[in-house]
Amino acid sequence: MNSDFINNIGLTHYLVLAAMLFVTGMAGVLFRRNVIVLLMSIELMLNSVNLTFVAFSKFLGILDGHIMVFFVMTIAAAEAAVGLALAVTIFKRFNEVNIRFFEHLKG
Amino acid sequence: MGMGKDIFEITVNGLKLVVIFLMMVQAVPILVWLERRGSAFIQNRLGPNRVGPLGLMQLLADAVKFLTKENFVPDTAKPLLYYAAPVFALIPGAVAFSAIPMSTPIQIGVFEMFGQSWGPYTFLVQGYDIGVGIVFILGVSSLAAYTLLMAGWGSGNKYSLMGALRASAQTISYELALGLSIVGVIMMYGTFNLTDMTMMQQGPLNFSFMGYTVSSPYLPNWGIFFQPLAALLFFTTTFAESNRLPFDLAEGESELVAGFHTEYGGFKFNMFFIGEYGHMMIASGLMALFFFGGFGIPFVSVVELQEWAAGVTATATGASALVAGLHFLSFMVKFSFFLWVFIWVRWTLPRFRYDQLMDFGWKTLLPWALANTILTAFIIYAASL
Amino acid sequence: MTADAFLFWFLAIVTLVSGLSVILNSNPIYSALCLAMTMVGVSALFVTLNAYFIAGVQLIVYAGAVMVLFVMVIMLFDLKKDLQTFARGMFTGGVKLASVGLIAGLVVGAIKSAELFTEKVADNPVTTGNGMESTKALGQILFTKYIFGFEALGVLLLVIAVGAVALARSKGGTHEQ
Repeated sequence: MNSDFINNIGLTHYLVLAAMLFVTGMAGVLFRRNVIVLLMSIELMLNSVNLTFVAFSKFLGILDGHIMVFFVMTIAAAEAAVGLALAVTIFKRFNEVNIRFFEHLKG
Repeated sequence: MGMGKDIFEITVNGLKLVVIFLMMVQAVPILVWLERRGSAFIQNRLGPNRVGPLGLMQLLADAVKFLTKENFVPDTAKPLLYYAAPVFALIPGAVAFSAIPMSTPIQIGVFEMFGQSWGPYTFLVQGYDIGVGIVFILGVSSLAAYTLLMAGWGSGNKYSLMGALRASAQTISYELALGLSIVGVIMMYGTFNLTDMTMMQQGPLNFSFMGYTVSSPYLPNWGIFFQPLAALLFFTTTFAESNRLPFDLAEGESELVAGFHTEYGGFKFNMFFIGEYGHMMIASGLMALFFFGGFGIPFVSVVELQEWAAGVTATATGASALVAGLHFLSFMVKFSFFLWVFIWVRWTLPRFRYDQLMDFGWKTLLPWALANTILTAFIIYAASL
Repeated sequence: MTADAFLFWFLAIVTLVSGLSVILNSNPIYSALCLAMTMVGVSALFVTLNAYFIAGVQLIVYAGAVMVLFVMVIMLFDLKKDLQTFARGMFTGGVKLASVGLIAGLVVGAIKSAELFTEKVADNPVTTGNGMESTKALGQILFTKYIFGFEALGVLLLVIAVGAVALARSKGGTHEQ
């Protein structure tokens, strides 16, 4: 590792960090079985995308990325609200949050 | 940046943060004393008056008691969360309080020390100046809900969990009304910066509306005269945010033992207490800033005071220090008044029932805050015509 | 190392470690608390990118409201350790791992091979002032250029609020019907 990579923080650093966070979230969605953890992993992915938007926004010098983040945040909050409401309903019905127990559509 | 800065400036800024934190923590015993004596006064009894003059040494005795109590962890507790919760209780209050400007900046001219010349500095009488001050304060203090949940769940006690769920539901419900109530204020001042807001409230009351200029020499130019409803809503919601009576459902002794801090004793309980008082202090500081002119002295603008100070002191540094000191005193008077109102209300109003609390937050405060926002928008538009 | 670089590396490590603990912790409570920590880290990263207002909104909306909801729901369910934290099956697991690795490689490779521009210094509205200027500009384009999206989001939020209440509604409760 050269010192330029460590000292000179540029767009690449933010993009790689965001990519790593996104992949973490994706692995969570694929590997975990708890509904709520799945929802949380999706939030993590959305967050990493927000980070990319803001990084691009700064380095391109336009504010449109911030607007996108604003919209993504709103939609993520809405998605979390509905997702959690669904999780509560599912938990009330099956008394279980592991997706293995309700992969059949039979009530 | 950062590394190239003067060592002196970095040191002073670092020390300033420590001093502000210590000030916050040290204010708590005084407030506790005030609360106990004040409640005694309100209820027509004496209060603690045996230890030291006026019972002031009671604080010291309490501190010794808190520190020497047995360190107790319930069997069913999750030790990590159980210990982390009280520590986290201090953070939102301390971090948010540092963003509140308490006086005008102190300008220090060039001076000689250790055989070196140190350049001119400007020191803000606040922890750090953030452009989006109020957004930052709201964001940081919204993290307080985690403390409650961590404490409630980490204690492994049914009553703690119930108390924590109640308290956090209450906190996030009232956050909406809190945020909306100050939207009108932000629209009126046109800035998020707390210092700018204070600067706009100097001098006697005057504003222009549809081409007419209205001014009154008898009233200061404070936000309360422009946003009375917002002031009322804001102050009400902050009671709920800091879990104080009449909204302290989280504690509700008669049904929940002591709410989320049932299992905490000694110093850990004390830290929750400091956190609660930290919220009160932020609320009082913001109340003074938004609606009562912040650090400004009524009828006297900052420029006038600076001119006067330049006349009575020898150096420019001294003048700016004098101005800052006077403003700090002014801020402290307003700040202490609102802290006293918090105590006063606690010993005057009874507790709400939980459904009443939620109804009040969602069906009364929120619509009124929305109405205030819309009304303010229309009036600002009409005034600009 | 400069202060900026130190801040970035510190925050990067905090976000990555807490992000990883979200998916590795078998207890959902700790997952949620770690995710909250990630959100705070991302918010601090926004500050290093001069997006002060977005950082504040991130704290209020994500860390202060969404994650509190998650933690509350998990505590309400009183979930213990997950019995089967991770999906089983060697083959599907391998496929999943391969796909995660593939997307990671693709993304990082794309970033590495792309000709990334250096920071635009002159005439950059994002880096002006201490956040006030860019916040004002943000408001202006939000209510002019993106007004349709803003209104559409308002409608979406209303629909979501009604839908969530309808979904989670139960008979009984503290209020009379």
